[in-house]
Parts: sequence; structure tokens; C-alpha cells
Amino acid sequence: MAVKGYTRNFPPLKILSEEQIEQIHTGTLEVLKKTGVRFDSERALKLFERNGCSVDYSSNRVRFPEALVEESLRRCPSRFHVRARNHENDMVWGGNTTYFQALAGTRTVDLDTWNPRTPTRKEYYNGITVLDALENVSIIPWYTPWFGFENIPPVMAMPEGLAARLRKSSKFTCAGYSMGCEVFNIQMAQAVGTELRTMMAASPPLTFYDETIDAAYRIIKAGFVLLPTSGCVYGGTAPATIAGSLISGNAEIIAGVIFAQLVKPGTRIIVQDFSFPQNMRTGAPAFGSIEISMHQAAFNQIWHWYGLPTDGAVCYPNSKKIDYQSGYEKAIISSIGALSGTNTIWIQGAMYGELAFHPVQAIIDDDIAGMLGRFLEGVDVNDETMAKDVIDEVGPIPGHYLNTKHTRKWWKKEQFIPKSADRLTHPEWLKTGKKDCIELAGEKYEEICETHRVNPLLTDHQEQDVEKILKEAREYYRKKGLISDAEWEPYQKDIASTGYPYE
Amino acid sequence: MDEETKTILENLRKATFEYNNDLAAKSAAQSVKKGIDPLKALDVMTTAIREIGDAFGRGELWLPDLVGASDALQSAVPILEKEIKKRGAHRESLGRVVAGTVFGDIHSIGKTMVVTLLTAAGFEVQDLGVNVNAKGFIDAINKYNANLLVMSALMTTTCVEQEKVVSELKNEGLRDKVKVMVGGAAVTDEFAETIGADGYDPTAPGAVELAKKLLKK
Repeated sequence: MAVKGYTRNFPPLKILSEEQIEQIHTGTLEVLKKTGVRFDSERALKLFERNGCSVDYSSNRVRFPEALVEESLRRCPSRFHVRARNHENDMVWGGNTTYFQALAGTRTVDLDTWNPRTPTRKEYYNGITVLDALENVSIIPWYTPWFGFENIPPVMAMPEGLAARLRKSSKFTCAGYSMGCEVFNIQMAQAVGTELRTMMAASPPLTFYDETIDAAYRIIKAGFVLLPTSGCVYGGTAPATIAGSLISGNAEIIAGVIFAQLVKPGTRIIVQDFSFPQNMRTGAPAFGSIEISMHQAAFNQIWHWYGLPTDGAVCYPNSKKIDYQSGYEKAIISSIGALSGTNTIWIQGAMYGELAFHPVQAIIDDDIAGMLGRFLEGVDVNDETMAKDVIDEVGPIPGHYLNTKHTRKWWKKEQFIPKSADRLTHPEWLKTGKKDCIELAGEKYEEICETHRVNPLLTDHQEQDVEKILKEAREYYRKKGLISDAEWEPYQKDIASTGYPYE
Repeated sequence: MDEETKTILENLRKATFEYNNDLAAKSAAQSVKKGIDPLKALDVMTTAIREIGDAFGRGELWLPDLVGASDALQSAVPILEKEIKKRGAHRESLGRVVAGTVFGDIHSIGKTMVVTLLTAAGFEVQDLGVNVNAKGFIDAINKYNANLLVMSALMTTTCVEQEKVVSELKNEGLRDKVKVMVGGAAVTDEFAETIGADGYDPTAPGAVELAKKLLKK
């Protein structure tokens, strides 16, 4: 089953006027030129200096001329192909197409008590199996489904997670960076013949640390896809206003774009809006807020005006449970993202912010994705769908359409049928145990774990390569002192267990 | 079985699965002409409908499939039944059913689903259609010597008509002779009990099981 991209067949929602776009663009240019962006990397500073930027080495501040900004944006392909492990799952990002991607969380939750806990290795692998099986998950990003699992030293969470995704899914995946782990991630991806997407995350306001810059260098040199992102919090690490945070966030992202195009012109880039208002009581990002949608709609509009694909709908709910609140938060954010033309939407699985994920939630979210995908395709109007002949043939009562060939041919094409939503009549629902979508998705989860198999499995040779790279990573971090004795012992025990690596 | 007979029976099965009314009627006529036992021909189609009904019950097929198959069956039934009568043969059945949507209500889908599945399960069903009044049901029960009455009502306003029919059955001294099943979106277990019906089920496959239970089949 190939992944599904949905083509939007109508104009996107426009929250900004042309004049407002110009104002934000001009404001962004001014910040880049006047305020500048801090890059904590001598290599990067020299690169910028060689290409006409004004560099202050005492504060690591780079100020960008307008011409370089415009030239760098022009160098970005507006539409490009990305390769998955199974080429049937390749995608084309950009234009009017929208794909859905899973959304990670640090821990799993118990569905009875809603208490969070670290998942087991088996749960981790099963979580990936579910994402591989869901028809609207096209991308399984970094940290997904969870940031790690039991007995894994934190420094190994990313390479172990990537290995698990490569083993249990053949869809496009991504990898993060931390402590240089991107070196191992790139090797693993190359060993199994897939590309990766990796973020280049600014540390707002207006800063890129050396670790981020080094990782971006490696990803760009490997020829993979870069995702510059701001991650600002309006009122905390960006101005409290949507317009102001768009300017500061876009300045950060554009600085990343310039860096990438100077390192390797033509680098494939998709820009991300991963920003939230500040919850002014707790200090945490206010996930699930409507301002996120306003920001993302404006972001998608501006960046499509720049001609780049956008990753502009991150549907983190604020609710700690799978409930009405998580439903409306996810539905509203994803809908506005889809209508405003984002090319990818993060939705399946996440619960509270980045702090929890559950495969049952992912199964429910997959129905939201399917509904939106159906909407994006728009209304098909042609001689056959207008059905004039059938209307004439059926006529008034006692005629009906249920027994017509036209109905049999078209109804499944026209109707999206959700996989876990309760659609029974009230009496049937009463009779069959009053199940809600959480229980129905729970049944689906069991069914998928039992029946779904990744296509194809890694070959023996690929599996050996992945295991060899993991071994090198373990030894490297152990030698560097980043895995303590207390962490090493249970980790080794886990690796030596009979169920390793799948159970 | 010769090749021609085999082809005709295969076509009856195919017509049911492909919802092809023309093929169903044509093959039924061919089977009569060829002298094939009409009970055998009918059995091929009801077996196919039963498979479709089972797949519907499992959620694999949908309402348009059920209605399409039912229409194919109904295209062949009059031709085959005429032959059955002509031969003086008798259809073994699980029960003689009179079915219809009650007076004032013209919703036929739910009733048609139940009729289709009851026919497929082996009941002999007289479908009176929609907007049937109490007299219509009672006349049919007498005429066909029915032992099961199946009534449908979609709307709360027409639900009460079912109660009227039950009370007419009592007045006519027929209540002990027929079991009464009621159905439709507005009907509930409690309602069925209140009006003195023998049973209710919210789904068409469930209605078949209920019919078997009521007639102890």
C-alpha cells in the first residue's frame, strides 16, 4: 500500500492580505539586516562572511543583506521528490499536495488511569507497526512514536528509535540530532536505501547553537532534506503578537535557509512552523490554542508566497486524555492547516503536547486525517457525477437510488468511511456494548499488531548493517562517558535478551 | 449435471453477486425452459444472498450491495415461483412471513433488508411493501397462512401504527397464531414490549436470528 498524498483542488485559505504579507516580509528583511542572527560556529560565520554578510565575531552575530536572502530563497526547490525505504512510499512535497505524519510524545499513558510511563521495547515496536499500517500516515518522524523506551540510555534513544522505525516500517522517516548521533543516523539510512529529513532548529530568539549547525552540515552534505524550524513561544522567546512572532520566527528560518543554500545550493528544504503562544500561568507552551492556527495559516501563506513547501500544521493538543478536548484541538488545528495549504500535517498519536503518545490516539487521529484528505479533494463535477440520467431514470417516489449502478459505483468514492468512529444506530450501539471510538480504536490496535507486517522487511544484510552501526554508536558513547555503568548494565541485558530487537 | 445446467445455475449465482437483474431474469427463464428443478435454482440464489448477508453482518459489504442482490433475486423469484406452483412442488421453509412498512410510513429500506435476509435464510416471505394498514396485514396473514408478522416503522409518529395492528390481530383472534416482530429507527425493546410484540432487533441480521428463535427453528 503506497502512502496517500491528498491534492487540494481549490484555492487555499488566505488569512493575510497581499499588503500584510509585504509588511511581514519587509519586517523580516529588516530584522535579518539590522538585528541579525547569532550563529555559534566559526565555520558558519566564515561562510556567511565570504558570502557578503556582516559578521561580528565578538557576539557571533550575522547580519544578512537583502540580495542574499532573496537569492537563497530562489535556490530552494518549490517541489521535490523524497525517497522512502520502500519506493512505493516515496512522496513529492510542495504544490497542492498534503501528507499526514505521526506526532511523537515522550512517554506512553495508561488508558485507564491516564498516568504516563516509559514504554517497553515491545510497545515501541508495536507503535511503529501501527503507524506503518495506518493509511494516512505518510511520514514517521524523529522521536516517533516515543522519545525512547525502557532500558535505553538517553544518548542512544535516537539511533535506537531510528533503527526500530527502519525495521518496522518502510515509510519515509526522519531523524533528529543530539550529541552527534546524526552521524550514525545517516549511516543507517544509507545502509537501507532511504533518505531522511532532519530539522535545523533555531534556539529562539535569533540563535543557532553549534550542535545544530554541525548536524545541519552533515545532513546537507549527505544530500538529505532539511527542515529549518523556529520553535518560538509567543510572549516568551518571540514577541507576544502573531505578526511579531512571524517576523522573528521567519528571520530564524530564513537564516537557516541561507546557511543550507550556501553549504549546498539546491538543498531540498521544507520549512516548519512549530510555535505556540506562552501559557501565561504555567509558562509551558499553550498547546491546542487557536492562535497556533492563526500563526500557521499566516506562515503557510507567506512561505508559499516565497515558493517553499511548508510543514505548517502541528496538532498538539493540551488535553492529557483522549477526550472531547483533544478531539476539537486536533480537528481545528489540522483543518485550518489543511485549508491554508500546508504540505504536511503532524497529527497521529500525540496527546498532551510532546509529552505523551498513544497508538490508540493515532488510530483515532487517522480518521481525522482521512476526513480532511477527503475534503481537500473537493467536489468532483462532471457528467457522470451530476447524474442527470440517473435522476431521470429514478424519478419521484417510489423510485430510490440505493439499487442503482450509479450508487454502487460512486458511493465509496464519494464517502470517506472512518475506521474507528462509532457510526452505529443507537439501538445497535446499546446492544453491542456501548463502545466509543477509544474502545473501537483499541480493538483496531490489537488487530493491527496481530496482522500487520512491514513490506518489505530489512534484508539480512541491511539488518546486519543496522545492528553494526548501533553497536558502534553504543561503544562510541560508552567510551565518551555518556552511558553510565548504571545505564550500561540493563541496556546490555536488554540487547542480550531473547526477544531482542523486536519483542 | 450437464454443462448447460451448470452454466445456468452459475449465472444465477453470478447475477446475485453482480446485482444483475437482467441476467437473473434471463437465467431463471432458461432454467425453467431447460427443466431444472426451480427449487434448486432458487436455492442457488438464496445461498448467494446468505453469503452477501453474512458479509454485510461482518461489515464487509454495504447497503447498496444488499439491495442490489435483493433486486436480482426479486427479478428471478416470480419466474421460479410460477414454475414451483406449476409443478405442484412445495418450498421447504423456516416459516411463512408477512412483512411490510406500516400505514403512513413509506420508508422501505430497513424492511427490504430484513425481507432479503429472511428470504435468504429460508423463510417464505410475502413483502406487502410500504404504507400497509392493519387490514392489509390481516388479510395477508389469512391468505398466506402466515406464522410470523414483520412490521417496520421509521418515524415516531408511525410507530404507534404497529400497536394498532397488534390490537387488531387480537380482535380478529389471530394473535396466538402469529408471532410479531417490529423494527425501525424509532422502535426500542421497551416499545416492542409495551405494544405486546414478541420481539425487536436493531439490525437486519439480528432480525433473522430473532425470527428463527421465535419460530423455534
